Amino acid sequence: MGFDFKYNVMWESVPMLLVGMKLTILITICGLVIGFALGALNGLLKISRNIVFRKLAGVYIESIRGTPIMVQVMFIYFGLPMALGMRIHPMVAGIVAIAVNSGAYIAEIVRGAFQSIDTGQTEAGRSIGLTHFQTMYYIIWPQALKRMIPPLGNQFIISLKDTSLLVVVGVGELTRTGQEIIAANFRAFEVWLTVALLYLVMTLSLSRLLNYFEKKMDINK
Amino acid sequence: MIKIKNLHKNFGTLEVLKGIDLDISQGEVTVIMGPSGSGKSTLLRCINRLEEITSGTVIVDGQDIMDKNTNINMIRTEAGMVFQQFNLFPHKTTLENVTLGPLKVRKMSRPDAEKLGRQLLEKVGLADKADTYPDHLSGGQKQRVAIARSLALRPKAMLFDEPTSALDPELVGEVLEVMKQLGREGMTMVVVTHEMGFAREVADRVIFMDEGVIVEENTPEEIFSNPQNPRTQGFLRNIL
Repeated sequence: MGFDFKYNVMWESVPMLLVGMKLTILITICGLVIGFALGALNGLLKISRNIVFRKLAGVYIESIRGTPIMVQVMFIYFGLPMALGMRIHPMVAGIVAIAVNSGAYIAEIVRGAFQSIDTGQTEAGRSIGLTHFQTMYYIIWPQALKRMIPPLGNQFIISLKDTSLLVVVGVGELTRTGQEIIAANFRAFEVWLTVALLYLVMTLSLSRLLNYFEKKMDINK
Repeated sequence: MIKIKNLHKNFGTLEVLKGIDLDISQGEVTVIMGPSGSGKSTLLRCINRLEEITSGTVIVDGQDIMDKNTNINMIRTEAGMVFQQFNLFPHKTTLENVTLGPLKVRKMSRPDAEKLGRQLLEKVGLADKADTYPDHLSGGQKQRVAIARSLALRPKAMLFDEPTSALDPELVGEVLEVMKQLGREGMTMVVVTHEMGFAREVADRVIFMDEGVIVEENTPEEIFSNPQNPRTQGFLRNIL
């Protein structure tokens, strides 16, 4: 029995998949905004002079990097509600999982970018009378941010793809929607191919966007 | 202007400065020389507290820099620092490098700060480079911008940490020229350098340091033509 590629199944599944894709984008954006804040905070704590702050950030980063994201998602959605005695909406669990997970990796990106800025820059800032905070804000941040863009882009794409794991807690994002369509029409080849292409559209757009920012920040063209 | 008493500085167990006493009066140009590792840069960096001193006192413009009531950021605006590696801010234009201090520390208005910035760039001969980024400047130009950046805070003294050591030989002259002019205008200057010509021409006093102590100090004429200490003699023989 030969395989009959049904081209029109792809087109027919797109409208439903786009609904799932919207959720994927929403979770990714919310998760990464919070993740970036978490990452920036922990990255800076990791290089602070206070050893307690450094250790705290270290525990967070190591425990997240050292455990699978799938386990983290299940822990947040099934584990935490037991302990807290309250239900967590799957969307909230998804956003929290993406935020907490990406935050740990972003913390390392932030730390690395800051440490790569020559100490002479801090000394020059301080010696024209800027405070520590002003030196960070006007001198170090802008230079570090520029260096962060390529590794951040990488992490953003990873986190976007990681949202597909939220299928296990029943969030109706792109992958889950694909599964549901297949459950009804049994056309796994066409539907998964379409799902893959839609992910590719998102990741390629994201890397284009980041390229644009990188170029825009490059003052010495 | 700057009074240093029995200054000690340790890095871990290594004692870099072993009791320095030094008085620098207003308008005086002091050149510090000595072999590498003698503590001359560290001494300079202790004056504006880029290095924490281990013991002793440093008084700048009447204020003890270690005193809890002293605002160290204000001291740093009174004693501008010029670095060997320039340390210009690469993400800011030449003019922005110069105006950052006046804008954020002196709280000057933008038009005033830019006017001051342009005046200072003109003073160091770089009026036409105001909108250029540091990456497009030569080493000598970078160092002149760095001098303008420090001057923008209207400091009472200027500290120079080997300002010409990272420059190609043909670019040294243009930086020294700016420094000489500052000296003639009566700026209090402490300069760590091996430029004998500069020392001869503008220094009121040359200090020779070795192994964390001041070995000898005198006028440039005396110290170069008639050094007393054997270590000074040996050093001068090597750099001539």
